[in-house]
Amino acid sequence: MHQFVFQQGLSRELHSFPHIIELGAKKNQVIHLNSFPQTTSECIRIYYINEGKFEWRANSEPYILYPGDVSLIMPNENFGSEKGVLEIGSISWIHIKISNLGNNELLKGKWNTLSETESQAISKVLLMNNMPVLSKLTEVGRILRYIHDEIFNQEIGYTTRTNQLIDELFIIITRHLTKQNNRARDFPKVFRQLEQALRQNLSQPWTVEEMAAIAGMGATLFNEKVKNYTGFTPLNYLINIRISEAIKLLKKKDIAITDIALDTGFYSSQHFSTTFKKFTGYTPSEFRKNNLSQD
Amino acid sequence: MKCIITIELGTNAVRVFAFDLNGNVIGSQRGYYPTFHTQPDYSEQDPDQMFITMLYALKNLLNEQIHPKKYKVVSICFSSSMHSVLAVDKSGNPLGNAITWSDNRAKKETDKLKTSALGKTIYTATGTPLHPMSPLMKIAWIKNNDKERFRQTSKFLSIKSYIIKQLTDEYIIDYSIASATGLLNIHKIKWDADALKFAGINPAMLPDLAPVFTPLAKLKKAYQSSLGLTADTKIIVGSSDGCMAILGDGVKGEGKATITIEDSGAVRVMGDKVLKDDKQRFFNYLLTEGCYVSGGPTNNGGVIFEWFSKQFGDFKNPFDIEYSMQELIAEASKVPAGSEGLLFLPYLLGERAPIWNAYAKGAYFGLNINHERKHFIRATIEGILYEIYSIGKTLEENRGIKRLSINGSFATIPFCTQMIADIFNKPVQLRQNFHSVSYGAFLVAATEMGIYKNLDEAAKTVVLPDEYLPEKQNHNAYMKYFKIFERLSTKLAPEFEEIANLQ
Repeated sequence: MHQFVFQQGLSRELHSFPHIIELGAKKNQVIHLNSFPQTTSECIRIYYINEGKFEWRANSEPYILYPGDVSLIMPNENFGSEKGVLEIGSISWIHIKISNLGNNELLKGKWNTLSETESQAISKVLLMNNMPVLSKLTEVGRILRYIHDEIFNQEIGYTTRTNQLIDELFIIITRHLTKQNNRARDFPKVFRQLEQALRQNLSQPWTVEEMAAIAGMGATLFNEKVKNYTGFTPLNYLINIRISEAIKLLKKKDIAITDIALDTGFYSSQHFSTTFKKFTGYTPSEFRKNNLSQD
Repeated sequence: MKCIITIELGTNAVRVFAFDLNGNVIGSQRGYYPTFHTQPDYSEQDPDQMFITMLYALKNLLNEQIHPKKYKVVSICFSSSMHSVLAVDKSGNPLGNAITWSDNRAKKETDKLKTSALGKTIYTATGTPLHPMSPLMKIAWIKNNDKERFRQTSKFLSIKSYIIKQLTDEYIIDYSIASATGLLNIHKIKWDADALKFAGINPAMLPDLAPVFTPLAKLKKAYQSSLGLTADTKIIVGSSDGCMAILGDGVKGEGKATITIEDSGAVRVMGDKVLKDDKQRFFNYLLTEGCYVSGGPTNNGGVIFEWFSKQFGDFKNPFDIEYSMQELIAEASKVPAGSEGLLFLPYLLGERAPIWNAYAKGAYFGLNINHERKHFIRATIEGILYEIYSIGKTLEENRGIKRLSINGSFATIPFCTQMIADIFNKPVQLRQNFHSVSYGAFLVAATEMGIYKNLDEAAKTVVLPDEYLPEKQNHNAYMKYFKIFERLSTKLAPEFEEIANLQ
């Protein structure tokens, strides 16, 4: 493997790839002071270990990485070496600019060929992930090597193939994240984890594709499994959770109904009101009047 | 055309069935709700989510299967799992989640009471074994450990009481659910003063007692219109799932017992007398005045085989556990009864009846070099059913049992049904297609309407068509191993506790 670092704005090679902020590979044989300090960045940073043992910190937590491991650092997360130095070994990496942190559209851009729903689902999984180290994901090393080759060799179609490889990189990482704790055996366990994710992010809109991605399966299989397990479609099950949370909030007097609507994931108080009445027979304000807790 | 709706608030899901007046199922709908385990011994459910899920399932059933066929709903009859506790404030709003039957946080309260003379008095009066599952213990736990919640509590309800309160505005608890709280004197049908004192509460903090048929106040107007039901739809308080299951199988009278195995399991008999037991191994719950459902529960039913399948089964498609289980059972059937000397103690979740040892653990025993995977599969199933038999055997010391009926997803797997017949050496009957609990609730509602004169007559009409006959040779093989199983289950008690403390 040869060593190189390309940086956006400095390296001509990245001219056609404005979304790649940095791309590099390094075989480190000597330890230099301050060669790998802890930094934050607005990019998604992906590092792959080819050789060696690296003691890194991500979000102030220590991690030890071995060959085959990947570190996935999300925007604004602190990341670098424990002692500020890069240990002996060989690594490769890529930094990708994201488009918008706010609304599940991390990977939006002309380069990206993912469909909108898939792209949103991947963004959601990445954003909800709190495991900065993925162990034994050698496919990332392979894809990074292909990206290097494409950019060096510049053969016909290389911009398209490079961008496809970046898409693939995110697909592989997302699949790995959703499968890390799940061997496709224990649906109740997967469903429990999904349910927890939904409750923690209840104010967000959720599509079936996003929920399916969290559960690590395609939308069709997911739909069938959820229907079988809960008796409801995924979206109807989600409404059950939204309404039951709303009921709890309505019983407390100090939260405005508009806020409850948004907190529990309805588009508007009108949408909340109609759905709530459909389910419970009461409008939210009638329900509140009947059930407010007295002090 | 008239119909009856039954609503079963189970451990993991609500099941809503619609029956015509002949007892045929004309529609059903299921709705899952989650259980939260926020700490190791905790097991809780959200009462509002249960209510919403129940409403939604009921509404779907009515809109999709009942209203289009122009059925008129005469009554809605409830059943639910036992032992749940929900504290509510004076406005009737929940103070935290409901604590379910499988919650074990009240171990200390239980140990304390169990070793006292008061414990024996309370068990004899209430019929509920002293165990962390019992609401008596859970309320005592809240009193000792969650003083703020205890102070704010206006009433302690069961989940069913809470759901019924939402629909009718009444605080009601039926005899069966009440008799599973450990707070009811089942001989006098009154709240038990000793138990209430131990829990630190007074009768006003509990719902009003009601017999199984009690028609409640009208459905609130809002629900009449949102569900499309008329004001004269009767809401019937019903019973517990355990009592309904035995009624639904027609097990009223001498010589019969019913075995239920879902995730957990139980063996039950019904009679006009309480089963007395010095070792406090049985529960005695009240269905109606002078009618007791007695038996013993196990923690380790189908959930153990599911655990085994997840760990060791083959999965052709992702999450296809049914396929995996079928394959395993096919393999197990190649091994002769007794698994050629491999024994399994199924106590992965601790155990209730008959050993009542929360520290009990699982074990494979007798392993030799010739045992293969298929022996483990069969031994696992045999171990689960030996445990069921050990409950049945203690019951038989008190009641003659000539035939069995079975229900529940695990017990009704044909391979398991035959094994139950062989181990017990008794004929086994079962109902195909639908749920015994809901059929029991139908019988209650139909009796309330006057279709049957009383529950005895209703139970007599139950015909269970399929029958499995025991094979003597298998029975003899099983009994040789069961003796060892039984001895190991008690002999290992010190080791169970020691290893539990290390885990």
